[in-house]
Amino acid sequence: MFSELFLPVLMVIFMLVVGGYAVAVLDRLVASALGTPQAGGIWLAPMARGAWLLTQHANATEAPDWRAWRLAPALYLALAAGGLAVVPWSASLVATDLVTSVVLWGSVEALATVVIFLHGWSANSLLALIGGYRYVALGLSYILISMFVLIGVALPAESLQFTQVVASQEGLWNVIRQPLGLPLFLIVGLGMTFWGPLNLADSTDLAGGTAAEISGPPRLVWDMARAAMLVAFSGVAATAFLGGWLGPWLPGLLWMSLKMLAVLSVLLLLGRLLPRLAPERCVTLMWVVLLPLSFIDLVWAGIGALL
Amino acid sequence: MESMNHGLGVDIAFLLLATLAVVTGWRVFRTDSMVRASFFLLVSFIAVGVIMILLAAEYLGVAMFFMMAVEMTVMALFMVMFMMNPAGLNPMNMVHQERIAIGAGVAGFLVLGAMALLATFPDQPVPAGLEPVRSLGNEMLGDSMLIFESAGLVLLTTMIGVVVLSSHRGRYGAAAEGSMPPGLEPGGDPAGKPEEDEAGEGEHHHHHHHH
Repeated sequence: MFSELFLPVLMVIFMLVVGGYAVAVLDRLVASALGTPQAGGIWLAPMARGAWLLTQHANATEAPDWRAWRLAPALYLALAAGGLAVVPWSASLVATDLVTSVVLWGSVEALATVVIFLHGWSANSLLALIGGYRYVALGLSYILISMFVLIGVALPAESLQFTQVVASQEGLWNVIRQPLGLPLFLIVGLGMTFWGPLNLADSTDLAGGTAAEISGPPRLVWDMARAAMLVAFSGVAATAFLGGWLGPWLPGLLWMSLKMLAVLSVLLLLGRLLPRLAPERCVTLMWVVLLPLSFIDLVWAGIGALL
Repeated sequence: MESMNHGLGVDIAFLLLATLAVVTGWRVFRTDSMVRASFFLLVSFIAVGVIMILLAAEYLGVAMFFMMAVEMTVMALFMVMFMMNPAGLNPMNMVHQERIAIGAGVAGFLVLGAMALLATFPDQPVPAGLEPVRSLGNEMLGDSMLIFESAGLVLLTTMIGVVVLSSHRGRYGAAAEGSMPPGLEPGGDPAGKPEEDEAGEGEHHHHHHHH
């Protein structure tokens, strides 16, 4: 009972907390390395902000959909937890080794669209609503690209299970076998967590978008959920393309953590370096350039699996 | 009775999920917003999906999550767009054709209830080495490969076609420039066309109105 139920739950909660904190610290490190001045210390400032948010009053808008508004940040956090639950840390250490874990991750991406829209919609406020609609338009494009890229890694594994996907990379990692996969998937990751250049749902031109009206503890949950989702995404990317726990000398758990940190750092660096796109240009880019590229990736993977 | 080969936890989970599915399914018709109704329906479907996982239909259960997530989002947005209920926050009645619906509901309940109580279900325990995802794949992609793959291609083509047709910058130029709304009378001026200020155009309009 303990190892079947409580251990996985503890593992996921640990990753939610530690991962979210790691994202905040890493983002500050990246920012100061790039010369952006940061207020407060690198290690303490995220905690100070968290504590400040926790003690603030949560503002209300006029006639919001209270239940959806309060639930949406928690649901996004729950989705991040669901994603973390299927990430294998080693051949045996995985919270839920579902045979359809690749599809479950796809569902997390799809349900994120629902939750982000609900978050923007339920505040009953104009800019938040526009942010929600904007995410749906963009999110549908990210999901399609992600699906094709993930089918590409499931093909050589002949399985929809992440542990099998890792096992199939024993000889050659997918990042080399399918060179288009990881770059496309990283863009999906930035889009899904609306981070950096693809932060269009919560962007400053909408005064914060879907998060324009939330404050206090719900805001803390929302920010934590975005960071946790970025961690879950890095875990999936490291599993699908970088051979997960595989590697010489070190134990699998350590390899996996290093690869996740590497993906996370690349994402945060991209988030700081790349310029923002206009939303309509972004949709065009997704459908006209990136989606066809994901088709090519899938055909490539298919031919590779046949040979 | 066949001896139970699953734990008490599965029974509790089933009861909770079944209750959630029924309650949210009922809320779909009691709420006053199309967005809320769509997402209540989504919760109901997700609960059914988890029940399917409990029944060892792993792929179908998980596929239910992402299919319904996208489907309900698109449905909610389209309903808001086309049914004149901005943002779906204006109160409105979710129930139509009440008498027929009550009749159909009662009839459906009786038929399904009678089936559940009276039908003899096959009593075959799932073999230990069963791989549900693989066997489902064989079922769909064995003899039905051609049908399944053609359906997939048609769906994908439709999706891309819809995006191309509905995009602002289509193959015939920008949507706002290339098209005008139809006239209020056959052959008339486009509805909602702004009044033109040029003298010549104004004359033209007067001419039309006199005849």
